[in-house]
Amino acid sequence: MPHIELDHIGKSFGTTNVIRDFNASIADGEFLVLLGPSGCGKSTLLRMIAGLGDITRGILSFDGRRVNDWTPSQRGVAFVFQSYALYPHMTVRENIAFPLVMDAFRKWYHIPVVNTVMRWKLMRRADIAERTARIAEQLELTALLDRRPANLSGGQRQRVALARSLVRDPSLYLLDEPLSNLDAKLRTQMRAEISTLHNRVRKTFIYVTHDQVEAMTMATKIIVMNKGEIQQIGTPDQIYSDPANTFVARFVGAPPMNLLDVATARGTVSIPGGPSWGHEAAPENALMGIRPENLVLNPEGDGPIPVEVVVVERLGAETIIGCRILSDRRDQRFLDTDLVFVRVQGNPRIVAGTRYALSYAAEDVRWFDRATGAAIPHATALPNCA
Amino acid sequence: MTDLLLQADAKTPVARSARGGIRWRGMLPYVFIVPPVLYLAVFMFYPLGRQIWLSFTRTRLMNPNRSEFTGLSNYERLFADPEFYMALQVTVVYSALAVILGVTVGMIAALALNRPFPGRAIVRAVLLFGWACPNVAASLVWLWIFNERSGVLNTIVTGLGLDRIAWLTTTEMALPSILLVTVWQVAPFVMLVMLAALQSVPEEVKEAARIDNADSLSVFRAVTLPHVMPTLQLVSLLVAVWSIRRFDIIYLLTGGGPIGSTSTLIVKLRQIAFENYDLGLASAYGVIGLILALTVAVIHALFNRRRQKRSQQ
Repeated sequence: MPHIELDHIGKSFGTTNVIRDFNASIADGEFLVLLGPSGCGKSTLLRMIAGLGDITRGILSFDGRRVNDWTPSQRGVAFVFQSYALYPHMTVRENIAFPLVMDAFRKWYHIPVVNTVMRWKLMRRADIAERTARIAEQLELTALLDRRPANLSGGQRQRVALARSLVRDPSLYLLDEPLSNLDAKLRTQMRAEISTLHNRVRKTFIYVTHDQVEAMTMATKIIVMNKGEIQQIGTPDQIYSDPANTFVARFVGAPPMNLLDVATARGTVSIPGGPSWGHEAAPENALMGIRPENLVLNPEGDGPIPVEVVVVERLGAETIIGCRILSDRRDQRFLDTDLVFVRVQGNPRIVAGTRYALSYAAEDVRWFDRATGAAIPHATALPNCA
Repeated sequence: MTDLLLQADAKTPVARSARGGIRWRGMLPYVFIVPPVLYLAVFMFYPLGRQIWLSFTRTRLMNPNRSEFTGLSNYERLFADPEFYMALQVTVVYSALAVILGVTVGMIAALALNRPFPGRAIVRAVLLFGWACPNVAASLVWLWIFNERSGVLNTIVTGLGLDRIAWLTTTEMALPSILLVTVWQVAPFVMLVMLAALQSVPEEVKEAARIDNADSLSVFRAVTLPHVMPTLQLVSLLVAVWSIRRFDIIYLLTGGGPIGSTSTLIVKLRQIAFENYDLGLASAYGVIGLILALTVAVIHALFNRRRQKRSQQ
């Protein structure tokens, strides 16, 4: 299994820089997720690792060996495409066995007629047939082996694509948004199957997605990307709990982290035109970030931030409540700020138009520099909230 | 609903227009179908029916309206004539080679043009010239190229220190020469159609094959060829049918000679109809040509059906 090193990797299309100075190290057996919005360069990076796209700048190395100029097959990787990229005229069996047949293929098999005969023979060779059957069984595809991709459901095609990537026993698995074409239920099921697969094969997985739920549930490590640059590298917990900047704070989490533009002075925090409350050691020129589940919805007057509920989203196990902060001014009911989201467990009787007061624990607050958006380290802000 | 509209129809002009709308909508498919049906009836089905009928009659060109029904006598004469078998053989060989060579050359050109290189648009335009050029004009140009004394080909041949070649006047060279012109004319069409098909091959599937350790030829065999196969089959059918009924190039270049070595069924048909004035026998030749073209179409349909069946597995 290779240890992958991406050293100052860059990619340009003409004068457009798609990836800028990408540095990362991927350990053996890691499940790395490249997470970011559409067009951030994550798929381009994955294709460069696979050898499907040229590397404009930098060095890509596997176990210390520079592989920039290696062909995809030399790199020994498996790639699962977003569209699955199955061979439509081949049966499931032929699709799964194709990499093994190609491994055993010799140049002279290209001679007409010989080609057909040899491919037929290779398909029936004991080791190839046995391996194909075993992988099909693992992924519950045995009953579908003689069908063609056109007659399979999305989930079945996905499993065939996985089986085809598994059959060669590669050291590195690259998956490019493989679940994005599936419905929500199937996506949840396949997510679990891919995680189980990773646990079983213990190989390195690099998985590209814009879906933060996929990233959080499967990854051992996440790289959040935006506009071709790394925003943060960390474990799912680090990414969620300690976002490196406001982009990560807003991109990861649904609803995203609440960011309040507050003024701080002498141990108090205030929202211009609205409430003020005590919060020791709050940094200056900072945005206050707090996750929806860390806000507490109290009866009116029983907390520092007065709000009115404007939207209630009942999800069954939890409820998302969207609030607006009340203004001090007589001519203005609400402050001109974003909705503040609160996540509460269960299905409480909360209706739009009701007034509440929000409170929080100071240790749950994350501060971000107003100018740069970068996170301000915890030590600067002491945990103490009035 | 219609009843309500009909009741209202008697009273209000709005409803009358609504009923008119319903009538018009019912007629609309026929309005669209009638022109092509009329066209096919007048220019295809009637002449075809007339040809089949004429093949069972004794009809002279000088008096085509006086036909005498003779049953299968024209076919008896035709099957007893060694020249018919010669024409049939020439037609089959010419059509088969036109398909094999025309489609192969066109496919290779399409594959070459499917890769980006500087000046690709110019090369494509130049290659299309053969297809765009009118047949008669092209044939006259090729007559000059094949000219034994002053033709370009023989200038090259003698420049290489070889003897002049009688391209169109020897039985060995006439058919290959005609095939050369045919390929020159057919290949650009094949190239154009196949280029469109090649550009629709999903890039991701080709990349998947490359990841799976397939070399370029294997990618072509495993991904590209199966994807473009329906188009390739259709183009082959078209080229085959066009070759069976090709007249202008052959007639202008060799007139069917020398000694019938390039006389296809259609060239023979012209000779019997307009030199021997025997419309009945000429029609029988036409019917055999029709059967040949239909056989090719049926083979294509069978391949198509087989492919569809396999894809439904």
